[in-house]
Amino acid sequence: MRIGNYALKLEKRVTLSGWGAALISILAILFALLLFSLLFILADINPLAAYQAIFSYAFANPFGLPLAINRFIFLLLCTSAFIIPFKAGLWNIGMSGQLFAGALSAFAVVVAFGGKKFANPYLSPGLLIPLMLLAAALGGALFGAIAGFLKGRFNVNEIVVTMMLNFITFWLVSFMIKEGGPFMKSGGEGDGFELPSSIFGPLIKGIPFTIFIALGFAGLLYFMFAKTNIGYQIKAYGLSPAAARYAGIRTFMIPLLVFVMGGALAGLAGYHYFAAVPGLYKIPTNYGYFGDLAFYGIICGLISQGNPIAAIPVALLFGGLSVGGRFVQGQLHMSFGVDYALLGVLMITLVAFQFFYRFKIGWVKAGKESLDVGIPG
Amino acid sequence: MWVFLVRSFDASTIFTIAALGELIGQRSGVLNVGIEGVMLFGATLGFITAQTTGSYLLGFLVGIAVGGLLGLMHGFFSITLGVDQVVSGMGIWILGFGLTAYIGNPFTGPLGMGRIPSVLGLAPFFFLGIVLVVITWFVLTKTSLGLQIRSVGENPSVAEVSGINVSRTRYLCVIVAGMLMGLAGAIYSLDYNPVWNYNFLQGWGFIALALVFFSMWNPLTLLAGSVLFGTLWQFSLNPQLVLPGFLSRYIWRTLPFAITLGALLLMSTRWFRTRWGAAKPEALGQPYEKG
Repeated sequence: MRIGNYALKLEKRVTLSGWGAALISILAILFALLLFSLLFILADINPLAAYQAIFSYAFANPFGLPLAINRFIFLLLCTSAFIIPFKAGLWNIGMSGQLFAGALSAFAVVVAFGGKKFANPYLSPGLLIPLMLLAAALGGALFGAIAGFLKGRFNVNEIVVTMMLNFITFWLVSFMIKEGGPFMKSGGEGDGFELPSSIFGPLIKGIPFTIFIALGFAGLLYFMFAKTNIGYQIKAYGLSPAAARYAGIRTFMIPLLVFVMGGALAGLAGYHYFAAVPGLYKIPTNYGYFGDLAFYGIICGLISQGNPIAAIPVALLFGGLSVGGRFVQGQLHMSFGVDYALLGVLMITLVAFQFFYRFKIGWVKAGKESLDVGIPG
Repeated sequence: MWVFLVRSFDASTIFTIAALGELIGQRSGVLNVGIEGVMLFGATLGFITAQTTGSYLLGFLVGIAVGGLLGLMHGFFSITLGVDQVVSGMGIWILGFGLTAYIGNPFTGPLGMGRIPSVLGLAPFFFLGIVLVVITWFVLTKTSLGLQIRSVGENPSVAEVSGINVSRTRYLCVIVAGMLMGLAGAIYSLDYNPVWNYNFLQGWGFIALALVFFSMWNPLTLLAGSVLFGTLWQFSLNPQLVLPGFLSRYIWRTLPFAITLGALLLMSTRWFRTRWGAAKPEALGQPYEKG
């Protein structure tokens, strides 16, 4: 494209600084919100008023803020679960299945120690809660391991595998909590049983303790990728599995390892929402919604470019946006699914912006012969 | 039993047409993991159009058109912008999943139109599906256009040198692919199960994606695989027809997905790969940049 003496030129980026990537990510989010305003305008709503309502509910409202924080913890765990395999060039879109597996395992521990039948389980809460956490992590890790093993050993496409596992666990949860399933609430209408109050996840100033788990793992992952040998191996595998093999990295172990770690974190996300968030403490009949929310983890992971620390503010923002979106939908009488629509618009904008992570556009003074415009090879 | 078979064929048709689209795209070297998103869009907008205008024809046309547009979008991202094809496909899937949940919600409920007349008890789309498979097979293996498509999918630089426009061929394929996926979605929401509900597909698109891998990129094998999975899917919805009272219906719903996993595993073993591995389009998933 030429305007006067200047031509638009695309250049492939050789390196992209952290701040450069952050700038592109922020622009992508702003562009998505701008695009999303169309939906408000189509519904005859002033977008500015809508966004103000979303943000003030999510971050400055005594009812909204705790919801946004709970959502943030969940999203951060899901994002970490996505990021670890992503660093190895693999796609974990199975967070929803892994978190259901984690939740089922945690509730299985409760059933095993009598927590379904009696208000006071056989084991003291100080032991039972850590056991539930462990079970949730193991359950998620097991489902992650299936995808990782198949990828590492047989090179089976991990996207299809994790998606199949999502559907399998979705129906397994239905089996467990509905129509006389083992976790059904007696006399309940499709809900799972409620935890006895003694083993509710502890709250610290009203915030579930799982926030420390989520933040702690984000920090650990950052350290792992920046400083440790295993982090280096994962990144090397992500750049080129073949080259990693020549460098002596065991190419079977890496996919398995990243999916086990990712699955474990997604399992903890399942524990968080179903056993530590005030007002829930059960696997509810609309559990599928929480599985859908896990897909925000993909977006957070992509926007933060696989950086576990950068994922923290992104997860906070999207936690707030999704909670606030649900709120304005009721407040402004919009159709159901504002938070879903936002998910879609954010995702597709981000895809388009992937281009800017790879290329930069600059204006160059066009000489007579520099008519070469387009993507250089 | 006859009813069950007929429903199975109807289900197979949807798998066939959606997977056929994906197969055409993949033969040209473009992977689209967002089939489910395209199908959701075709199904939802087709449903809304048919319900508001009262015309099935318009519903199908809108379904096909929106599918084509999404195919074009995938092409723009992955061919022109050179974005990772998996990222673009995931984007289309999540866009479809998120946006149709919002757009379609006011239309939740049955379509409320007379059923589309059947031919010999089967939906007319069953025959359409077979015709499309045969046409695709013929075009891909017997015509120069097919040769063009395959060469672009195998080795785009060589194709470019021999005078084929790689980008144009790939665009053609992804748009046709999108149209077929949109059509498959519209068949689902207008004929197979004419009730709109949030995220109603529950995995059809992803099974269609797996079917393309199973088919070894051969349309005729794809048809056989689709019939198998259509029957399996229908069985998982109504296990009581065959095995009354055995296991919870929720357990049966996991069956098609579990079998897909098993089949994927089998296909990926060395025994299989040494015999069939050459079938995969060599350049699948790689963006092509003109040298």
